[in-house]
Amino acid sequence: MLTVRKALTSTVGRKFIMGASGLLLVGFLFVHIATNLLLYAKTGESFNAAVARLWSLGSLVYLLELGLAALFASHIVVAITLKRGHREARPDSYRMSVSKGTVHNNPASRNMAVTGIILLVFLILHILQFRFGPGISEGYSVVINGKTERDLYRVVTEAFKNPIYVALYVAVMLFLGSHLRHGFWSAFQSLGVLAPRISKVIYALGFCLAFVLAAAFLFIPIWIYFDLGAGL
Amino acid sequence: MSKDLRNYKLVIWRQASPQEKGGFEQYQVDGISPDTSFLEMLDILNDRLIKQNIRPIEFDSDCREGICGACGCLVNGQAHGPRQKATTCQIYMRSFENGDTITVEPWRAKAFPVIRDLVVDRSSFDRIISAGGYISVKSAKHADANAMLIPKPDADQAFDYATCIGCGACVAACPNASASLFTGAKISQFTLMPQGRVEREKRVERMVDQMDREGFGGCTNIGECEASCPKGISISAIATMKAEYLKAALSGRTESNASDGAM
Amino acid sequence: MKLDSKIPGGPIAQKWETYRSEMKLVNPANKRKFNVIVVGTGLAGASAAASMAELGYNVQSFCIQDSPRRAHSIAAQGGINAAKNYANDGDSVWRLFYDTVKGGDFRAREANVYRLAELSTSIIDQCVAQGVPFAREYSGELANRSFGGAQVSRTFYARGQTGQQLLLGAYSALMRQVDTGKVKLYERREMLDLVLVDGKARGIIARNLVTGALERYAADAVVLATGGYGRVYFLSTNAFNSNATASWRCYKRGAAFANPCFTQIHPTCIPVAGDHQSKLTLMSESLRNDGRVWVPLKKEDCKKDPSSIAEADRDYYLERRYPSFGNLVPRDVASRAAKAVCDEGRGVGPSGLAVYLDFRDAIKRDGRQVVSEKYGNLFEMYEHITGESPFETPMRIFPAIHYTMGGLWVDYNLMSNIPGLHVLGEANFSDHGANRLGASALMQGLADGYFVIPYTIGNYFASYPLPKVSVDHPEFAMAEAQSRDQISRLARVGANGKTTVMEYYRQLGLIMWEHVGMARNQSGLKKAISQIQQLKQEYWENVKIPTETETHNKNLEVALRVADFMELGELMATDALERNESCGGHFREESQTPEGEAKRDDQNFAHVAAWEYKGEGQKPALHKEPLQFENVHLAQRSYK
Repeated sequence: MLTVRKALTSTVGRKFIMGASGLLLVGFLFVHIATNLLLYAKTGESFNAAVARLWSLGSLVYLLELGLAALFASHIVVAITLKRGHREARPDSYRMSVSKGTVHNNPASRNMAVTGIILLVFLILHILQFRFGPGISEGYSVVINGKTERDLYRVVTEAFKNPIYVALYVAVMLFLGSHLRHGFWSAFQSLGVLAPRISKVIYALGFCLAFVLAAAFLFIPIWIYFDLGAGL
Repeated sequence: MSKDLRNYKLVIWRQASPQEKGGFEQYQVDGISPDTSFLEMLDILNDRLIKQNIRPIEFDSDCREGICGACGCLVNGQAHGPRQKATTCQIYMRSFENGDTITVEPWRAKAFPVIRDLVVDRSSFDRIISAGGYISVKSAKHADANAMLIPKPDADQAFDYATCIGCGACVAACPNASASLFTGAKISQFTLMPQGRVEREKRVERMVDQMDREGFGGCTNIGECEASCPKGISISAIATMKAEYLKAALSGRTESNASDGAM
Repeated sequence: MKLDSKIPGGPIAQKWETYRSEMKLVNPANKRKFNVIVVGTGLAGASAAASMAELGYNVQSFCIQDSPRRAHSIAAQGGINAAKNYANDGDSVWRLFYDTVKGGDFRAREANVYRLAELSTSIIDQCVAQGVPFAREYSGELANRSFGGAQVSRTFYARGQTGQQLLLGAYSALMRQVDTGKVKLYERREMLDLVLVDGKARGIIARNLVTGALERYAADAVVLATGGYGRVYFLSTNAFNSNATASWRCYKRGAAFANPCFTQIHPTCIPVAGDHQSKLTLMSESLRNDGRVWVPLKKEDCKKDPSSIAEADRDYYLERRYPSFGNLVPRDVASRAAKAVCDEGRGVGPSGLAVYLDFRDAIKRDGRQVVSEKYGNLFEMYEHITGESPFETPMRIFPAIHYTMGGLWVDYNLMSNIPGLHVLGEANFSDHGANRLGASALMQGLADGYFVIPYTIGNYFASYPLPKVSVDHPEFAMAEAQSRDQISRLARVGANGKTTVMEYYRQLGLIMWEHVGMARNQSGLKKAISQIQQLKQEYWENVKIPTETETHNKNLEVALRVADFMELGELMATDALERNESCGGHFREESQTPEGEAKRDDQNFAHVAAWEYKGEGQKPALHKEPLQFENVHLAQRSYK
């Protein structure tokens, strides 16, 4: 019997999980960038206020974090099982392999696993650096509406005064763009919602989206490093 | 008819049997007219090899006009060679320059084991069809053909998916050796036709199951299958297959919980 | 040898219905006790295997390809006829029957043809139920077109790939039965012999083309659906692996071979380009619906760019010679007319062996879009091969061997003179007489498989006692040993031979095309017979092949087939020599009207010529089955 469980473990079902979790993660990136755009402001007030508002949700934050972790985990674990299957499906590789010309066969689509691994490593570093980085006890505090809150703005701006971090973040965001360029369109295809005509629209949309998201994240460290906000 | 005869260096995969380890061999083929098809060039080479007591290159081919799906090998890294929407037998030597080196490899996939040289076993495709690529009607009296109207756009699109020749180029070209385009094309054909919708859930369940069992990889939406398909079948077939599969999973109307009625 | 056609009595329109009702039946519970071997998985073989399995028989299905879906039926382009009269243009079962008998130049059996016409309508219903995506009108109804030789629109089609779609329908029905376990599939197997036990067909010897092993299979009946023998000409529109070996080995076991000289030359093929060529590509005859055939009036224009030749300097010779049928005259007439203008020196193209098929006027009339919708894939195919677009410049076409009307003799039950050996589709001789109408081959294959054999096989099982036979029976051992001997003899010769199989094969093809091709005469046929005999002798002394017999060895496969083709070619020439009349695809130069049209001789040749094998080196014996025309009156065909 085709139970939902069985359906989700087939190649088709696992790609469904990849697509669905991927799209939800794109949703998360939008929330993330919405807050991060405040880093482009002249001072850290609005950014820190937004962060404080988030933490005011209390234990709900941990629940959201847990959900997010689950999304990442399913995306990653399923990707690994799929990749293994793909390798097994072609034990002997070709001596020569040349594309016959399709927009979807590009470095972005062929290297989803590579960009995925890079993003995973980055994710861990990123969480350690900011989520679990210096807090109030280390003196990174700011008073908002009479309450002492973590000055995450300072944590970020200090980090991005280091050229190594800037270079690292810029590079990783390029990989993020690449991952999204194929991933966004691919998710729709895997969810089975692409008629030939909308396919092109979604692919174009995915490209724009990847570009905008990657660019928005990518310019934050540059903005801070060169203090481009100072001139405003 | 062109008089300029051309010379080529062929680098071909030779493997005497499934058990033996294969390897590439080089052959010089001279004096080939550009109007010769790629397979005819291999015929010519084989006749020369036979006379030198060298085992000829084994390859499958039959209709030699691009419809039977028997032929197929990777030519210079591309399934069915350099031309779009063509099978290996439809490649002509005018596509290659004089003096070119041409690399020829068999389809490679776990589900397509090599039998000899360029000949592979594609019976996994037959087993996928056997799992559900049909409408279960008997040879018998049926309603008049015009009793059921099918909108022309649907019929045309169904035809586009039905043109699959089962050559295996999609699997060969896919970085994951996935059979999604092959399976999706048959499912999509029947999804578009009222006759086919009756068994849609059972069909998609069993065909996808069989596809996975045969050891094909999954689809990562690279689209190389579409580009390599001699019939230009769209990867929208794969999206349709996925949608059908999920709908089937949610519908609860699949094989084992559907009652077969009194027998 | 006694040839009893077993045609049922009664008026022609009721024969099949009455006969069907009176046939003996096999009890449903007993059907599973009967085993049937079906050789070939084309339209006839796949549909037969699927239908018999549905009834409950155990079927063993064999094909030489790696998959049953690759049988050569897949390459049929144009369409399938059916007397549905959807076009309301006056078609009927009677008219289809009449057209087929007349088109076959009165050399087919009336009763068989009538049944075929009758079943044609069920085939379309069957295929639609199976999900075959036929072409449709905007209304959602099935589309029809008219096809070579017919004045009504009765041809159903699926773009230019009708054969493919019908075959995939039959293949899917077959694969459904593989799934149920009622059909056991044997791919990459070539039938090398028929095994007779007590005079009945009880099994086959097949060669496993992967391992080279000879395998024995036993059954209660053998159904042969192995297609035609057009590859005897080497260059033809048939697939590379199409061959006559299965039929030929049955002939050598006593099955009569009927009308072997009846071959069809298809008028619209892409002309030969060079010596390297391995096959000819057909351009569907449907192209003649909208394309106009012409050659320059003046020889000196032949090498000119066709678009530069003025209307007044073009000779639309089919429209001129046959005003009422024009470009749609039957295949044999169109082919000979092309040969005639080329013989006059007015052929075009580099070889001078081609005529133009021009779509200029159709494009002007209907627009590029409409023409492309009808013929898009054919135009593409043409451009792939020749590098020229038919939208820009007229196609060049020339006749090529396409179909063989002759085949193993069968009675009304489609059973040969060997009890238990049934022959379907192109492999039999039964329905097309001396010339097959366009879009009728698919019809016959499917009628035989879906709607005739499922009935008649039951009648056979219920009528004869069939004690169990196993593959250990000495007859199997004997047949296997004979096949083994032949293979090892070939391998022995092959080790030291000088000339390859392909070289011999081409030589045979040239002899056949030259003397047993579009026009035949006594001295040419005699020459052909002696040349083939000589070639055959040389072949068995000097053929060069790779000698591995216990493995996949394509050249050995072909070598076995070519050996049979040589013998068959000789029989074809013998039959052509014997039939001193022109009829359908068989044109004897000695028998023509003053205008050069074919002239039949009903006085002496209104019969089926069935040949009986008499042993190696012996002249085969000719048996005649007289043909009676009670419904369609014998008349000289005229398409003027």
